Amino acid sequence: MAPRLPGGLLQSLWDTQLTIPHVSIRTFGIRSLNPPKPSRFNNNPGLPILESTSTAALRRKANSLPLRTGAIGIKKGMTAIFDTETGKRIPCTVLQLDRVEVVSHKTRQKHGYFAVQVGAGWKHPSNMLNSLLGHFSANGLSPKRHVFEFRVRDEAGLLPVGQSIQANWFQEGQYVDARSNTKGKGFAGVMKRHGFHGQDRSHGVSLTHRSMGSAGPSQGGGSRVYPGKKMAGNMGNTQNTVQNLKILKVDVESGIVVVSGAISGPKGCVVRIQDAIKKPWPEVALTETAAATETATAA
Amino acid sequence: MAALPTMRPLGSLRSLFKTQEVIQPQLGRRFLSTAYSQRPQRVPLPQSLPEQFLSQVPVRMRPENAPKPIKVYTPPPSARKACKDPVAKVTETQLETLDPKGERKALFDYRRNPRSIKPGDIVRVTFKNGDPFNGVVLSIKLRGIDTSFLLRNELTRVAVELSVKVFNPNVQSVEIVQRAQRKIRRARLYYMRSRKHDRRSVENVVNAYIRQKKAFMGGGKR
Repeated sequence: MAPRLPGGLLQSLWDTQLTIPHVSIRTFGIRSLNPPKPSRFNNNPGLPILESTSTAALRRKANSLPLRTGAIGIKKGMTAIFDTETGKRIPCTVLQLDRVEVVSHKTRQKHGYFAVQVGAGWKHPSNMLNSLLGHFSANGLSPKRHVFEFRVRDEAGLLPVGQSIQANWFQEGQYVDARSNTKGKGFAGVMKRHGFHGQDRSHGVSLTHRSMGSAGPSQGGGSRVYPGKKMAGNMGNTQNTVQNLKILKVDVESGIVVVSGAISGPKGCVVRIQDAIKKPWPEVALTETAAATETATAA
Repeated sequence: MAALPTMRPLGSLRSLFKTQEVIQPQLGRRFLSTAYSQRPQRVPLPQSLPEQFLSQVPVRMRPENAPKPIKVYTPPPSARKACKDPVAKVTETQLETLDPKGERKALFDYRRNPRSIKPGDIVRVTFKNGDPFNGVVLSIKLRGIDTSFLLRNELTRVAVELSVKVFNPNVQSVEIVQRAQRKIRRARLYYMRSRKHDRRSVENVVNAYIRQKKAFMGGGKR
């Protein structure tokens, strides 16, 4: 390495030559160590909302979020209902709402979105963690077996905590979306799971009649298996939503809600039903919730 | 060792000694096992603890922070207990309007009612839109609201089968035209689809029945 001049000496020479003529006039008095700087960002009030913010996300969802909460039902089985006028047979699913009550709220301020936490059924308190038991007791509710959230558009849809949701929350003739877990099929092969065609019965195929064959392209295609490749694996027991099911019949005393068509899952599974997002909202929705909140505030 | 073949038999003896050496220390080995011990009881704080000592106790163990019992609320009345079988209830409420007197249910309840329609009978069904259908009853499915029966006939030399839902409001009436001629030993007469056992057209029987009925009705009017 080449020898160096002592740095300190050079620096001091440099300072004396250049910085002395440029000393500002106000070298006395109190000065801020961190003077205010103009922002590097454009933060004027008239700016459009950025699309990657939670506000924009809520605004995008505003039209597809139901105005009011849904309910938790238990699938009891299927039957049919005859239309007395046309004589048409409508296959239907029978759900039962059992002690469905509002447990708590999720709010925009605290959680970033509006939702109603709803519980159903009853669970023995000795089988429940103290943290969850305390959550119910703090809201004056008995321990619930099933707890789910239903997102609503705004705070007008937040039913008061502790209010029970009866079967007549849904009107006959309105449409709902039903979401539940499908029946579990266990570890299934590709033919059953993804509808692959399998391989030949004969023509030299041996022991691989139901297998998937090659998993990936050859060297030109990258010589690897792409993520998401359909293969054998666990099938079923995943959430499925069936949209636009008509409410055919409602019975408050026995908590029965009869819904047209089939719903995923075995008998006894938990089904969440809420106003259908692809149909006009039921007309009673807003007035009823408003009345409910009024009574709650009055009480 | 391979160089000394005479030593081989002795070599096998040596292995015997070896095994003994290996086994013996294992016999004397001692194992550690976990003895059951009860869960330690919570030791309460001494009653006469001066207040200045409390600051030395961890915060969560101080008496004011002792866990409070959680109040458990009683559940509201259960809809599940009020109605054990909702599917049956939906069926019942429907049958109250579709079959208020229970006549149709009795007419097809072939397991309990001896006067009911049975497989093998010839039956005439009239619908609300006016088209009657006649045929031999091949089977009766008892499925609550979905109870149905299967009729077989021959129209224009083509065999026809029609499954009719008993409680369908479009079904106006079901009449027994003729009982089975012989004793039927089966509940499902699907063998009648085979050529050998096919009943073919039942129109003749039905026409005779209609004529007889008309005469009877006319006689009644006179």
